[in-house]
Amino acid sequence: MTLIDETTLREALHEAAADFEVSREATDRILNEASGADARERARRVPSFVRQRSGGRTALIAAALVLVVGAMSLPLMRDEGRSAKNSNAQHRAASGQTVQGSGFSGNTTKSGSATSLSAATAEKTAVTVTGAQAVATSSHSLKIESSGTVGLTVSNGSVQTSLAKLGSLAKEDGGFVVSTEAVASTQKSANYSNGTIVLQVPQRLFATLVTQVQHVGRSTSINVQSSDVTSQYVDLQARITALDASRRQYLSIMTRATTIGDILAVQAQLNSLQSQIEQLQGQMNLLDNETTYGSLTVRLTEAGHLTSAKHSSGLAKAWRDSIEGFVAGFEWLIRITGPMLFVALLLGALYGVTKFIRRAIRRRRI
Amino acid sequence: MEATAEVHDLEAWLKEGYPQSVRTAYLILGNRLDAEDAVQEAFLRAWKFRDSLSMESSFKPWLYRVVVNTCNSKLRQEIPHRDRRSGEEQLRTISTSEDVSSRVGLSSDMMRALADLPDHLRIAVVLRYYADLSEREIAIAIDRKTGTVKSRLNEARRRLAMHPALQAEASKDSPTNEEAIG
Repeated sequence: MTLIDETTLREALHEAAADFEVSREATDRILNEASGADARERARRVPSFVRQRSGGRTALIAAALVLVVGAMSLPLMRDEGRSAKNSNAQHRAASGQTVQGSGFSGNTTKSGSATSLSAATAEKTAVTVTGAQAVATSSHSLKIESSGTVGLTVSNGSVQTSLAKLGSLAKEDGGFVVSTEAVASTQKSANYSNGTIVLQVPQRLFATLVTQVQHVGRSTSINVQSSDVTSQYVDLQARITALDASRRQYLSIMTRATTIGDILAVQAQLNSLQSQIEQLQGQMNLLDNETTYGSLTVRLTEAGHLTSAKHSSGLAKAWRDSIEGFVAGFEWLIRITGPMLFVALLLGALYGVTKFIRRAIRRRRI
Repeated sequence: MEATAEVHDLEAWLKEGYPQSVRTAYLILGNRLDAEDAVQEAFLRAWKFRDSLSMESSFKPWLYRVVVNTCNSKLRQEIPHRDRRSGEEQLRTISTSEDVSSRVGLSSDMMRALADLPDHLRIAVVLRYYADLSEREIAIAIDRKTGTVKSRLNEARRRLAMHPALQAEASKDSPTNEEAIG
């Protein structure tokens, strides 16, 4: 690599610059201008001093930070409060059921209070499920996922017939039997002492099935869960629509691509989009299936093999509550990590921008 | 009283730094009027913000930083071609007079070669080889790293070596084979 000689360059530059004759007038002009500018500057000096020394800028930045952090954390705190309220309400509702159940147990059967208690709870829950179902059927846009377990006690030797009866109930409601299992009490015994059947029925008839199932035997326990997955479903739909739009755009680009490199690049994008769409479509199909049919597991036990449900004592309950509280606290900690990270990034960006602007202003000043 | 003392300080500044600054600006901008304008503006700015000088390490690069900034502003303003031509015409007028022919010829070629350099390379080369700033001082003046200055200087020297105007000058200076034999 050839470089121009430094000495030659220096000489040439000095010679080129020597052609420029410095005029005395130019320096006089600067002196006159400077003295005028100084006078103006002195007139402005007091307000500028106040401006520089006030420290208001720092206070303003601090106030802005407090506002940002406050605005970020307020919705979080509200959510926390709301979820805490909900969980308390649920807890209170559960306690209420227990009290009612206890009252109910006094009026009914010869069997243990535990059975009666669960029976009362079962009725209560069935009513709740019916309510939820009504909401689900009132609007087609709602996607409700339901599942549950029912424990039934049937008379001796009637496990098999009960299983068959439960199967036919599901078929009557337009559903089907997913699986059946029956177990004999002893190896020599011809009768089944307990069995399990999993039924699936259309979502709108799930609550009906829960009620019907309880008539097959004596309900000992019931646990039904329903969750609204509409938002997940809508989100998936939106993502699929967006990806599909991108895919169509890439397809139109593909028609205009001329070089092999372009075609390969577009093809790679299309493959990636296609796989994402299929993945999301799979998730949506799963949600569709889960929301089309409700799944109910029924556990049948012969009356003689009844096992009493365990009561949780006050201490056990307190222990469970403490674990739940710990988990909730941990969840909260994880949940706020995201917003905190966002705030940290925002502050970093603000700091960077401020520094850049201050530097630019300082540079422009001189 | 204080104002008079300050003006005297400015006079000292001008006496010390103006001629070289204005010539530096002339080499950067390639135009006499723009150079004077730019340096006048630079000195007034520097004078206005002289308080910030205490934070800077040295006066010379600081002053050149102001000069370079004002030159950059001028370059960004897209100087009309008339102004550029006026500078070249001045050189051409001088170059036709016989007494300074060879010296001004080289000056003219150098000015043409400088004009063909990109602004950032021209600034670096002028600050280094005319204003005699060290690479570190240039880095301060243009607010870049020393490594950047080095690479710019190398690139500028490479381009100048390849510039046709300077190559012709070099071949004119070196004796031809015939002359050597004769």
